[in-house]
Order: sequence, then structure tokens, then C-alpha cells
Amino acid sequence: MIKLPLPAFITRHVLFALLVGGISGIGFILFLIEFDHYTSSEAFCTSCHSMELVAKPYRESAHYKPVSGVQASCGDCHVSEGVLTATWDHFIGGKDLVKQIKGALIGPDYDDPVVNALHLPEAAFAARKWFKDRNSATCKRCHNQAAIYGSRPDTLQIHLQDAQQKSCIECHYNLVHRTVPDEKTFKRAAWNEMIEVEFGLEKGSAQKILAESR
Amino acid sequence: MKHHLQSLSCTLVLLAGLFNALPLQADKVTLDSSSWGSAEGQACVDCHSKSSAGLTHQWKNSAHALANVNCLDCHQAYQEDVDAIEHEGSIIATIVSPKDCGRCHETEYQQQKGSVHSKALTIIQNRMPALSEHFGSPSINDAGCAKCHGSTVKVRGDGTLDPASWPNSGIGRINPDGSLGSCSSCHGRHQFSKAQAREPAACTYCHSGPDSPDKEVYESSKHGMMYESHKARLNMDSDQWVAGKDYSATVTCVSCHMGAAGNMKSTHDVGMRDAWNLNAAVSTQQYLIIFEDGDKRELSTTEPLPRRGESISKMDGSMGKVKAVASPQRRRDAMSKTCLECHSKGFTNNAMAQFDNVVELFNEKYAKPAQAIMQELYSAGLLTPLPFDEPIEMTYWNLWHSSGTLARHGAAMGSPSMTWKGMSEVGSSFYGKFISQIREAAGQDKGDALIKQHISGSKHHDWLNHPNKANPILGFGQGKVDND
Repeated sequence: MIKLPLPAFITRHVLFALLVGGISGIGFILFLIEFDHYTSSEAFCTSCHSMELVAKPYRESAHYKPVSGVQASCGDCHVSEGVLTATWDHFIGGKDLVKQIKGALIGPDYDDPVVNALHLPEAAFAARKWFKDRNSATCKRCHNQAAIYGSRPDTLQIHLQDAQQKSCIECHYNLVHRTVPDEKTFKRAAWNEMIEVEFGLEKGSAQKILAESR
Repeated sequence: MKHHLQSLSCTLVLLAGLFNALPLQADKVTLDSSSWGSAEGQACVDCHSKSSAGLTHQWKNSAHALANVNCLDCHQAYQEDVDAIEHEGSIIATIVSPKDCGRCHETEYQQQKGSVHSKALTIIQNRMPALSEHFGSPSINDAGCAKCHGSTVKVRGDGTLDPASWPNSGIGRINPDGSLGSCSSCHGRHQFSKAQAREPAACTYCHSGPDSPDKEVYESSKHGMMYESHKARLNMDSDQWVAGKDYSATVTCVSCHMGAAGNMKSTHDVGMRDAWNLNAAVSTQQYLIIFEDGDKRELSTTEPLPRRGESISKMDGSMGKVKAVASPQRRRDAMSKTCLECHSKGFTNNAMAQFDNVVELFNEKYAKPAQAIMQELYSAGLLTPLPFDEPIEMTYWNLWHSSGTLARHGAAMGSPSMTWKGMSEVGSSFYGKFISQIREAAGQDKGDALIKQHISGSKHHDWLNHPNKANPILGFGQGKVDND
């Protein structure tokens, strides 16, 4: 039996620390993976009522009710691939939890459907920017631009030729959640009026609610 | 008298300008060609030749494509436009309104803007629900009425167009930009064909059926008969389309109502040459009032003739200053110019007189007494103010709006069968239903009094007072020697 001499600084304490550290490290990574996995699920996301409100149209969309059964959950689109980036996204997303708790204590209450709908456009603009900044990376987890055969005869050609330099989100928005215009043509007054009619509110009240909840 | 002469001479001078002094064919676009052919618009074509190949193919074969007018030249919008949307990096609007077309086709836009066509929705908007919603529901309005009259296009807060109001190419559509009408009613997108708009079908798409039976009338007229035989010789694709010069085989709707003939230029104001209002309970001849801002309205000759410079209400309820007035005769003269390319003056005038006589017959014999009786029934509280909840209201409506319209339009456009069909329907509803329904609504005594006052006391209905005057048409006296 060959006995390799260990360097002198590897003491029993060091060995013990490495062992504990290593196992904890692996445990931590496994924890993160499981954490990201769990916190990306629809069940987790919609445990906040405010998210349940935005999930409603999602449940009617083709991403929830696909022909093929390939269903995308919240995190599949809204959380990046890879444990580190995913963790970072969750860390940043934590601000929503802070807002939710703050809302429950002192307002604005995003669980209120009116407040939620009034704030939705800004949330949509932020989400679209997130996709754009990442070159629609999460779309491409499932969708391959070179394999979009579609229902029109030339859908594939459009994706191979005309849309080649484009990122999915540039053309495909308003797919899953409630329709919100592009930021460039968004008109706050018209949006407010629509929400007022939808919820039977007095004319001009949306602006007040919005001012209170900013 | 002096005032009358003055206004007459004013009118004549102005109308000479309106009807005569302009070029014979549709105005050429005067805008500099650097104003179109958007570079950004070329990219639209690449994608749309795949995503909507048919539409792109139509455009590629259009005069627009030939002149290098592309998608974005028409569909471009400004960020602040209510219906602006982002589409593949461009700010566009789905709807191209007459105002948008008017960026290049200014003359046509100005003519169309004040026309009765552009007001096809606004003038009946408050009356329409009584028919569409009592007989149907808002959905019949969206898929029926509004397809011809036009919808009020609503842009929702999320930027999408309300599906109840779009798609729509009704001729009186109220567009998000506030303009009225839709050029695509006649010049279907994206071919924008002149020939298509000159076809009777461009008009009969809406002008058919009980409310406006012009398809039935035209098809059973001599002009319609000749159209069937000679349509290949009508030179419809010609840039200039002057009756008697570029074609002569027959006339289509456009020829008389809009077309150029002799020294008369064409117009996109379709009602301009109509001397009568034929779509009313009682027809009246009508002045065409031209306002200083270019807007126009119809005014019945039963109303006082406004002076030049006077303020009168416009069709939208606002006030406008009168710039010129065209008399019914002047309008008739304009309409007749097309006739004169083929027919003599005597022939034309007599045909018009035969038409006028039918309108007057309808007015005097049926329309006026029926209207007077309905008004008395309403004011005596014998009918509810709600339309169509009593049988007599339905009879009255069909009397003038369907049958009466058929008779009058039939006479206007030379269809003997439709003139008689309409008038015989008017007669059978009047004698067969309306009279008994008067008694039903008013009771025997009041009913009899109304009938005596408005019907049997009038020379038009005197035959009712001679019940013993026999005639074998229904078989009375058949078999008797003196009737054989």
C-alpha cells in the first residue's frame, strides 16, 4: 500500500472543513436547482393573488393549451436557463414579493383587480424589454427559428428570410397575457377609460387610483 | 324678386363651375412623386408576399404598385393617432381612411367628404336601432346594416379595434381619425380598381334588396339588359371614361350618378345629381346646399330657400354658411347630360316626366294620406310611441320604405316590371291591410272617420265609393251572358 505524503497544511481540521464545505456546496447547488425549479412553477407563482390575475389569460392561451401538449409554465418563459442566471432572475424577481407584502401592509394592493389592470402595461413593457435584452432566449428553449413550419405555406420562409435578424419578441408579443399595446403607441388615457368601463368605475377614477398607487 | 334673381344668377355661375368648368376625367394626383415610395415600406412587401400572398399579389397588379406606392405610404400612422399600432418596427394603422387616401387623391376626397354617401351612417344613426335591434340584435347591425352604412370604428384601450366595428367598409363609416366613409366600399382593397368601381356590382353590393332595390331595377331595365349583352365593350379599364366618347354600349350606375359626359366632369359626390329624395315616406324635390367649408346637405324644396351667406344647420347638427344652392332642376339637368349622349332632349324630358308622375302618384295617392293617418294615430295616443309594436306600423313601414321605394326607383331607372311590382305591393298593403288596421288601432267610429277624411273622400280612392261597379277580373258575374 503506497502512502502518499500529504502536505503539511492539510491537517485533520482542514480535511474536515473541506469535506463539510464540499458537501454543503453540493447541497446548496442542489438546493438552488430545486428552489429555482419550485419557484418557477405555476403553483408557486400564482400563490400570490396578483399573479393569479395575470395567469387567467395565460390559461386560455396556446402556451397553456397547446395542440401538442408541450406546455410552458411561468418559469419556462420568465426565468433564464442555468442555475446561476435563474437564481439571479429569482433574486431580482424578489422585488415583486417585497411589493406584494408592502402592498398588503400599506398599499398599493396589486391583488385588487383594478390596481392590477392599471399597472399591467408597465409590467408588460418591462417583461418585453427583459425578453429583448436576452434575445428571446427563453423562447428558444422550445422554439427553433429554422423549424417553424406554421400553418401558412410560407411561414418557414418568413422565419428563415425576413425575420432572420429579429428576436422572437419583436414580432410575437401579446401572445399569452392580456393585450397591451406597444410602448410607442400606448395611450394611458385610453387604457384607463377601458378599465373604468370594464369595472364600472366612475370616469376619471382610474387616474386617481393610479396616483394613489404609484 | 330681385333677391331671387340674384340668388339664381349666383347659383348658375357657381354651378357652371361645379358641373362644367372642370376637366373631364378624374383629377390626376398633383402631389410630388417624392412624397411616396417609402423605403421602409419595401420591407413590408417581402414579408407580406409570403404571409398574405393574395393581398400582395393584388397590390402588385394595381395602379398603386405601378406608381411605386407601397404599403406604408397608405398605412403609415403617427404615434399619437388613436388607432396607431406598432407592427414589425413601424407605426401603422390598419384602417386607411378617406382622409388618408386624400393625402394624394385630394379632389376625390373633397367631393366624397360632403356627399350623402359619406353620411350614410350619420343621417340614420338614431333611427337604425329601431329596425336592427327590434328585428334582430346588435349582431345583425354589425354583420348587416353597418356593412353598407358603415360602423363607428372603435379603438379599444388596448389598441385593438373592436371586432363588432371592424372589419367594415361601409360607405358612411365613422373612422378613428374622424373622417367619414370608406373608399374601399367601391374600390376594394388592395387592387383599387377603377374598372371594378364602374361595374354595377360595385353599387348593387349594397343597393339591392328591399331598402334599395337598384340591382333588381337596373337588371330589369333596358340599360341593364344592354349591359348583359355588351359589357365587354364598355372600356371599363380606360383611364378616362366619358359617356359617348370612351364608351356607348350602355350606361352603368356610375355613368349617370357620377360619370363624365359631354362637357360635364365626373364627381365622387354620388347624390349630387339627384333631384328627388326617393327614400323618404313622402318624396320631395331637394336643393343641394353647398357650404363655405365644402360640406353639403340636402334640403327639401318644402323648406324656405336659404340665401347665400345665411347660416343653416348641417347634417351633423352644427351650423354652416351657405355658399351655393343647386336647384332640383339644375341637378336634373346634370343627370340628363348623360342621357343626352344617346337620347334626344324630348325623349329624355319625357322619360323624366314619366318618372316624376309615378313619384307624385305615390305621394298623393298613398304616402300623404298614410302619413297623415299615422300622425293622427300617434298624436291621439292610439299607437304607442314605440315603433313596430303594432301591426299597422309594420304595414306603414313596408308601404313606403320597401314597396314604395321599389316603385319610385323602378320609375327613376326605367324598369317597368319593378315600377309595377312596387306600386302593386303598395296598393295591396294599403287596401288589403292598412285600411283595416286603422280601424283596429282607432276603433270602428274613429277609424271610419279617419278613412273618410283621408282616403275615401279623396279623388284617388273614389273607386271605393262605387261598390256595385262590376268587373270580371275576380270572377264576378262569370257565366252571365252580358259578361261574356
